[in-house]
Amino acid sequence: MLGKNHKITMYKLYLYLLVFIVFMGIGASWVIEKANASHEIPIVKKVPNFKFTNQNGDIFSHNQLKNKITVLDFFFTNCPGPCPIMTYNMKSLYNDFSSSDDVQFVSITVDPENDNIKVLKNYADINGINDQRWQLLTSELSKIKSLKRDGFMLYADELPQGHAIKFILIDEHGNIRKYFDGTDEGSLSILKKDISNLVKSIQNT
Amino acid sequence: MKLFRIFSYLSTGLTYLLIFVGGMVRVSGAGMGCPDWPKCFDRWIPPTNISQLPDHIDPAKFNIVLAWIEYSNRLFGALVGITITVALILAIKYFSHKPTIKWPLVIAFILTLVEGWLGSVLVHTILNPITITLHLLLALIIVMLLLYAAQESYYIEYPDSEKNSKYPSNIKWAFLTLGFALFIEIIIGTEIRGGLQILRKENPLLDSNFLIYMLGPFKYMHTFLGIVILAVSIFLWIKLVKKAEQPSDLVVQSSSLILFLIFLQIVSGEVLVFVKVKPIVQLFHLWFAAIIMGLISMQYCAWKKSQNNYV
Repeated sequence: MLGKNHKITMYKLYLYLLVFIVFMGIGASWVIEKANASHEIPIVKKVPNFKFTNQNGDIFSHNQLKNKITVLDFFFTNCPGPCPIMTYNMKSLYNDFSSSDDVQFVSITVDPENDNIKVLKNYADINGINDQRWQLLTSELSKIKSLKRDGFMLYADELPQGHAIKFILIDEHGNIRKYFDGTDEGSLSILKKDISNLVKSIQNT
Repeated sequence: MKLFRIFSYLSTGLTYLLIFVGGMVRVSGAGMGCPDWPKCFDRWIPPTNISQLPDHIDPAKFNIVLAWIEYSNRLFGALVGITITVALILAIKYFSHKPTIKWPLVIAFILTLVEGWLGSVLVHTILNPITITLHLLLALIIVMLLLYAAQESYYIEYPDSEKNSKYPSNIKWAFLTLGFALFIEIIIGTEIRGGLQILRKENPLLDSNFLIYMLGPFKYMHTFLGIVILAVSIFLWIKLVKKAEQPSDLVVQSSSLILFLIFLQIVSGEVLVFVKVKPIVQLFHLWFAAIIMGLISMQYCAWKKSQNNYV
């Protein structure tokens, strides 16, 4: 059996090991925390005030961006090119987050001459948009143009064809956080993750 | 000869630290911290500033924290590789006539090269899940081989260590069962972790506790095999401590340590399932499993040594 001195060295060894493991734990927690913090998305700028109309004829303004995570894009219903893909991708996000009222989707038309409330309503029905979580907005062309160019810093000269294909992530305070390629699946999967992170941060506060 | 022992224990210890660092890369999601291999953003010292990025790499991929976490794993891996190489050279020099020391080192060295190559495959396949598991399993095999060889050389230097001890002779199957079961258990564990990650991607807003329930059978297999492992290790403890005559300190201590660690594993496992999926708990849950494997390797070596007493 163990001698007395031997036992003491044994206990000492275990004590050292324990201290070492505690330090490893502290170090690892610090690294994990740093890694989590590094995923934080910087604020680009605040979305300026606006007051548009949605597919139901109701007013939708910058105030409706508050307390929700918003994914916003620009489109038009007759668009032949990238819009169907963007709508398809937006729809998959809309379905993925269907369990949450904290996430909303906003699509603003860049062709208000054609896309009146009735056309937008019809577009919503075709795409299975049946609740408040996805807003299709229209307004005067000049207001849309200025929101797009000055508010979102996107190209807005040759509308409707020259509209951007970005999905814009907006946080619960109405700040632009990040731009995503709305036609690309890879950037979409990052967007999903970023949305959930932002949602978690509002749910935790 | 003593030098070999120093280097084999050193490489064992460093490999354990490396397994910990590797786990840290995994739980902090830093696996793709460097998009290229072996360099990081085309530099031998990762960039500390976004302006140092070369033109052909997309700056959106750059996250300085993740890059350095991943790179520290690589640097540390290189250091471990060097230590194992030195140990191999010493093994060939002093123990070329001792197959139980030479071969574990040769195999460990080859596996270390494979391990480095797997690291590059991981980056090129953008973290293929099967490769992640293989990367871990190889590390476990390497650390067991190193520790086994270190123990063998210890018994050459101190041949009297297990001279008086007598353990039951018919328990080889228990060591093998325990080692094998632990291996499978670790594989299932990594499956659970990987499965959680996929589920989380598909259901971004669901909470982790609920996701674990969605995993279903894997979780039950993990628990069931855990009970088997606990039973076999209690059996071994009885045989090696209670039923043995004058068991050595090493065997007594490692037997109780194994039981204690398995107890911790059960507690931390239940915390992960019922309380919260905490990265730091995940990290230690895996690392303690690796330690248990090493302890079993040590015990097996001691038991084998004592069997020679009455041959």
